[in-house]
Amino acid sequence: MKQNYKVLLIEDHPLIAEAYRSALKFVSKEKEGVNFFIETANNCDDGYEKIKDASNKNGLDLIFLDIRLPPSKDSKVLSGEDLGIIVNKLLPDSKIIISTTFNDNYRIHSIFKSVNPDGFLIKNDITADEIIAAVKSVLFDPPYYSKSVIRLLRNEVSNDFLLDNIDRRLLYELSIGTKMKDLPSLLPLSIAGIEKRKRHLKEVFDVKKTDDKELITIAKEKGFI
Amino acid sequence: MNRLNKLSRLLYCLILSNLLLIGCNSNEKTNLPEEQAPADDFSSWITISKSEELQLCERKEALHRAYLMNDEKAEGVNKIENLKIIAFQAYKLNDSGLFKKANKEAFEASVKIRDTLGIANAHWNYGAFYAEKEVYDSAYSHYGSALGYYQAIKNDHYSGKMLYNMAFIKGRLKDYTGSENLTSQAIVKYKQLNKYKSLYTSYNHLAILFKELEEYDRALDYNEEALSYLAYLDDKKTYYEGSLNNIGLIYHKQKNYERAIEYFNEALEKDSLKYKNIELYARLIDNRAHSKLLNNDTVHLLNEFNESLRIRDSLNNHAGITLSKLHLAEFYKKKNDTTNAIQFAEEAKYIAKERKNNRDYLAALKFLSKTDDQNANTYLNEFIDVNDSLQNVERKIRNIFTRIDLETDEYREEADRLFKQKVLILVVSLCLLLILSLLYFVNRQYSKSKELQFESEQQKANEQIYLLSLEQQAKLEEGKVQERNRISEELHDGVLGKLFGARVGLGFLNPNLDKGATQKYNLLIGELQVIEKEIRDISHELKNHDTYSSSVSFFNLVTKLIIDCSEIGGFEYRLTKDGAIFWEDVDEIVKANLYRIIQESLQNTIKFAKANEVLIDFSIQDGNLILTLVDNGVGFNTLKRKTGIGLKNMRSRAEKLNGEFTIESQPNKGTKTAIRIPINKEI
Repeated sequence: MKQNYKVLLIEDHPLIAEAYRSALKFVSKEKEGVNFFIETANNCDDGYEKIKDASNKNGLDLIFLDIRLPPSKDSKVLSGEDLGIIVNKLLPDSKIIISTTFNDNYRIHSIFKSVNPDGFLIKNDITADEIIAAVKSVLFDPPYYSKSVIRLLRNEVSNDFLLDNIDRRLLYELSIGTKMKDLPSLLPLSIAGIEKRKRHLKEVFDVKKTDDKELITIAKEKGFI
Repeated sequence: MNRLNKLSRLLYCLILSNLLLIGCNSNEKTNLPEEQAPADDFSSWITISKSEELQLCERKEALHRAYLMNDEKAEGVNKIENLKIIAFQAYKLNDSGLFKKANKEAFEASVKIRDTLGIANAHWNYGAFYAEKEVYDSAYSHYGSALGYYQAIKNDHYSGKMLYNMAFIKGRLKDYTGSENLTSQAIVKYKQLNKYKSLYTSYNHLAILFKELEEYDRALDYNEEALSYLAYLDDKKTYYEGSLNNIGLIYHKQKNYERAIEYFNEALEKDSLKYKNIELYARLIDNRAHSKLLNNDTVHLLNEFNESLRIRDSLNNHAGITLSKLHLAEFYKKKNDTTNAIQFAEEAKYIAKERKNNRDYLAALKFLSKTDDQNANTYLNEFIDVNDSLQNVERKIRNIFTRIDLETDEYREEADRLFKQKVLILVVSLCLLLILSLLYFVNRQYSKSKELQFESEQQKANEQIYLLSLEQQAKLEEGKVQERNRISEELHDGVLGKLFGARVGLGFLNPNLDKGATQKYNLLIGELQVIEKEIRDISHELKNHDTYSSSVSFFNLVTKLIIDCSEIGGFEYRLTKDGAIFWEDVDEIVKANLYRIIQESLQNTIKFAKANEVLIDFSIQDGNLILTLVDNGVGFNTLKRKTGIGLKNMRSRAEKLNGEFTIESQPNKGTKTAIRIPINKEI
């Protein structure tokens, strides 16, 4: 069993970073010979630098990744999600624990698709004990997912209809009130296409009304957004 | 100040010209006073003054009363008309005082109101008056003035009459050529108007003139001419016999006594002449007797002369008496009864001198100078003196006539000027009226178009206000959204993160506490987690709620309008819409008009329909936005009430957007209003 772990905390809240440190300290105290070498980054640029450094040197074992982070100055890396994709590319062996306050299904789903992390924590769900459990699980017996994440996954499996990324994106955009005329620039669809998809979605969710609100409410209930 | 004066004078003129027009119309009747029917009392007095059965003094008295009545009561044009009637009547009754007074007043009043016809009439009256009084120069002058005015107003009939009157005076004063000239002018005018009686008298006058000029053939011709016009007259009176007398006299002058006697006999053929015109009868008898005398036929002559003299005496016909006596004197001379001859001639001379009958006076003197051998020289001298003085007088008068003629021309010019002035005033006032009415019209049009412009501007402004309020609403919404997002994000990223950090940090502290405290410690941490969740929910709520509402602010406005109206009108409402309508894609103008249409329709519902339920629905069909408003109110007959301003407005709004407006309603079956408006939607 490996004893020394190189850990990178990418988190803009010092308090939270401190909490992770405490958790790691707790684990190293509990498990003899396990040591953590911890580095922190509190924005995207910093995180990217550290990931690049590590990929050139000894790599990283564990990365705590917050999703909402101050974006990079050149606006290339906007969030923790982007950093996760970079990590997957540069440090394929590193284990990622996503830790976020987002609890909407759409984002979680898309993060799963893009980053496929070993740990997924919803900040509101977790307690000190849970962080410890997550660290242990991810290091020794991945994966570890928070309750809400597990609930989402279960929902998706139990639903017998399939929504592709565009459907999800459409629902998501509608839910945040994106204007219809702006949608074609966000989605690879024409207005007519969007209308068609919406009609399809309404059929799938069994929405009788022509109202979008109803559709969004049901999609939320079903855990797609 | 000067301009003001001018203006006021112009105004005065305007009013006067109107009065004048009225005056002219009524003046047509002035010379036929019988047709007048003025105020009761006045007219009754006038009627009394006209009735020939009464004594002259009674009639004069009545006329005076009429004058006083008129002076007191009548006003304006009416008064002038009455004055003319009075003057004419006074002239007829030979009441010089009243005539002068009334005619003067009428004349002055006519001058004051610039009534040309009135002025001319007054002059005529004066002329007739002075002619009657044998003041020929004054008479001639007034006739001349009247002629000038009549010519100015192109009254040919009266112009002719004036010419004839003037010709008559000139003939009287032996200016035969002048008289002939004037008569010819009168004849020209009469011929144009087919005034047969006047033509008869004119030709008669010409005949007399040429008889005096000793051009007997022409005189006979003119008599023929006169008789030809007499044929046209219905009431010939004794004109025919008069003409026969004249012809007889012409033959008499030509010493063709037999022809003369034939004519006189023809005239005397009808016995009725005695009753119709006794004066003419006496003259004919006298003339016939005289012709017989000169034809040396003295049988019954004395009787005839005496009968004529007797008739003339009874008629108080001084000229006739003079002639009769002269003829008797001739008769006695022929019978060589010089004493009687001289006596009759003396009597004739005396009467002729008394009556200023110069012709017969001279004839008597001539006769006496030849008959009374003793006093022949005295008579001859007197004859020469009188003849000279008469010729002087005539010459003087003729000179006066020349002057008067000149003056007449001046009067005519003056009248012309007056007439032209009148026409000018009329034209100017008409122009002014035209200009004023034009100005009024233009002004009205202008204000009308102004009003329309104002209305459309107001409508535009209304729409602008609506758009602004919409924009305002959108901005408000946007601000609200931004603020909510900011708070939401602040809560989510800041507060929540820190709280989470603090909670987990606390979790790791794990202080050495007793069992109870540890439990409580864990509970509190759990509580913190719950708070976190609440904050996050609030954050989400903030975000979700407003993002949704901001996209449909038009719909919000409509909703608010409907809620307001339903509260006022006391009805329930149901508002539905097709989710496929993207309000932000719909043109603001369309929305503004839709809003107004809904407002109008709901106002109708509140005012008339008494509905308790209203359904409002927005839907989309083939790229058309369809708004349907249905109420369950009292409804109305769409055939009867087509043109309500509200409905018109709604229709015009819909049509302005290339849309359709339909309304279905029946009494007690509610109303359904539908608007279909094409919106550019790329599907």
